[in-house]
Amino acid sequence: MNKVFIKSLSKRIVTSIITLFLLVSFLFVLTRLSPGDPTQKYLSAEFSPELKEKVTASFKLDQPIFNQYINFVANIFKGNFGISYGYRQPVLSVVWQFLSFTLVFATLSFLLQIIVSSFLAFKSIRNKGKLFDRSVLNISLIVYAIPAFVLGLSLIYIFSIQLDLFPSSGLRSLDFESNSFFGKIGDYIYHLSLPLITLSLAGIALFYKYLRESLEDVYQQNFILNLKASGYDQSTILKKHVLPNAVRPLLSIAGIELGILLGGALITEVIFSLPGMGRLMMDSIFARDYPLVIGCALTAGVLMIASNFLADMIKMKLDKRLIKGLIN
Amino acid sequence: MLVIFWILILVFRMKFLYNLIQLWEKYFLLLTNDLQKAIQLLDSQLLDVLISITLFILIPALFLFFRKKLKFLSININFSLAVLLTLLLAFVFAPIITDENPEFQKDLRMTKLLPPFSKVKVLHLKAGDISNSSAAEKFIAFKNQIVKQSYANNIIFIDNIKRKPDKIIYLQKEKSGELDLNRVQLKNNKSIVTNKSFILGTDEFGRDIFTRLVYGVRISILVGLGSVVVSLLIGLSLGFIAGTRGGIIDIIFSRLTDLFLAFPIIYLIILILAMFGNSLLTVIIVLGLSGWMSLFKIVKSEVLSVKNKDYITSAVMMGLPKMTILTKEILPVIMIPIIVNVIFQFSNVILAESALSYLGLGTGNSYPSWGAMIESGQQYITKAWWMILFPGIILIFTLFSANNLGKNLNKANISVMH
Repeated sequence: MNKVFIKSLSKRIVTSIITLFLLVSFLFVLTRLSPGDPTQKYLSAEFSPELKEKVTASFKLDQPIFNQYINFVANIFKGNFGISYGYRQPVLSVVWQFLSFTLVFATLSFLLQIIVSSFLAFKSIRNKGKLFDRSVLNISLIVYAIPAFVLGLSLIYIFSIQLDLFPSSGLRSLDFESNSFFGKIGDYIYHLSLPLITLSLAGIALFYKYLRESLEDVYQQNFILNLKASGYDQSTILKKHVLPNAVRPLLSIAGIELGILLGGALITEVIFSLPGMGRLMMDSIFARDYPLVIGCALTAGVLMIASNFLADMIKMKLDKRLIKGLIN
Repeated sequence: MLVIFWILILVFRMKFLYNLIQLWEKYFLLLTNDLQKAIQLLDSQLLDVLISITLFILIPALFLFFRKKLKFLSININFSLAVLLTLLLAFVFAPIITDENPEFQKDLRMTKLLPPFSKVKVLHLKAGDISNSSAAEKFIAFKNQIVKQSYANNIIFIDNIKRKPDKIIYLQKEKSGELDLNRVQLKNNKSIVTNKSFILGTDEFGRDIFTRLVYGVRISILVGLGSVVVSLLIGLSLGFIAGTRGGIIDIIFSRLTDLFLAFPIIYLIILILAMFGNSLLTVIIVLGLSGWMSLFKIVKSEVLSVKNKDYITSAVMMGLPKMTILTKEILPVIMIPIIVNVIFQFSNVILAESALSYLGLGTGNSYPSWGAMIESGQQYITKAWWMILFPGIILIFTLFSANNLGKNLNKANISVMH
């Protein structure tokens, strides 16, 4: 058992690394192929061609593309992703500044999604066919169809403009530094409530749908009927027999969802002007900050693969039969 | 449903339809008299109008003719199907549903950011004299009367007018202007003032939001269908090759899918659009390129599961060509999962297109797009909620209906299989 596990684990790690490497190379080629000049943002060629050449040389963009690629690959294996053109800092430290926010934000949103959706799903499976179940089911279908930017703007309109309850953008108040520790946390929560709702609602609807469907499926199986007939109480059946079976399809979705969240919630960050990975990525694309683009993409890729992997591990914990399937 | 649409249009747009038919007639006359000139005149707008009026007349006639063969039309219509059908009708008949131009703007002072259901008075001016000009020029004048351009010289939006013996003074908010009597259309010696209503209000350039929404359907459906076709082509062919050949090709394609799935695809789309420029065509292609992975997986696994069935083996033994086996034996089996996937893909693409337009990376400014409308509404969110609400609602309805349709089809498919 253990041997199989280690074998498939190492195989998976190797394929992940290859995939990431291919991804980075693909992006490298794409950025170098694209028209447009990264130095243009800082100085115009019309004023001083020599200075422009100097800057281009300092970005190492004057060398042939093949040499650039060799350099790039060598540096990546050393863990060096270069220096961001715009921030004038190592890429990894720039990414880290923005990643810390995204990690917190994504985790909060993910927890919110899981907790709310499972609460709703359990409640509606208990009241199956009743008004609560039907209304939540229908509302979830509609909520799932609301694009993030429509939802975010509606929330801003209702809560920030009409009711004046929450701020419409930013992460901190002006008097943030004067607050105590708990005051600071309160301020963050105050600023993050609308973005969290915007980011989480669609996920809640999705998780709710999957969880409710699989709960319903499992409850209809014969072995549950057998357990009920044998006189087990409801909570034991739910905890020991229904949940492990019902949660499996949810886990795959959750892994993908977490990966996407960790890669940055672009639209939400743009609407509420929050400093996250999504906006960093987009800004670096628009500024043609090539090292930063690749750094961000790699981070997003690593997080995506890691969260999928995490989901698979949990699935495997629940069902030992899946160990061989870990490879794919 | 379709009948209701036709009746509604007939009731509300009777006069406009009559005018359009006249336009068709005149254009036909021009075509017979002066072919070259007629072809010169044929711009996209005129073509659009002529095609939609032709279809508008032809389709009911065809339906009456082939009534017996079109039994599929009598299926039950639920909400989501009705929404999608309406979108399709708006896609084809946009110039008939609304007789305005989506880019029409005039007298910004009067028409900017009007709330829904507002009415503005219109003063009609005299058009240029066309009594003694050539047939082509007459046709142009007639066309410009009916097919609205993005600018109109012969109307003025006003608050109020005062009649003086020899001139007319009109008020536009705080500004006033005067006009000679001989420039204004007169009827019983009174100037003609009508009301123009903006059902869903206007945007920051005084453009009618309803019209822009109707024309915005075109972008959404065009991008949706176009990129679905692109990803269908890629996914189907790669999946089929990987499924039948296996081996190294399968491994390469699977790695490629992993590559595309290994990081949030929206960034790849933004990267390509930002670096290589965004236009309608690039948006369609890039969205199509970013959505083929799930199709590839479905086709590959279905082909693998079907490949070793007896009837395929016998088809191969019989020496049928590969294309025949694909189209006659394999495609019908995997059709429904593919259609379900394509519908979900369609709604994803519409969502992605509007998100891209919202981020300013959409299909450009030559066509109105829902996402771009919402983006421009964001700046006026304190003053003009209708600029966000209506495109938002339409977007939600569209996505909801597409998702629902896909879900129902999937359910039907699963219950058939069991």
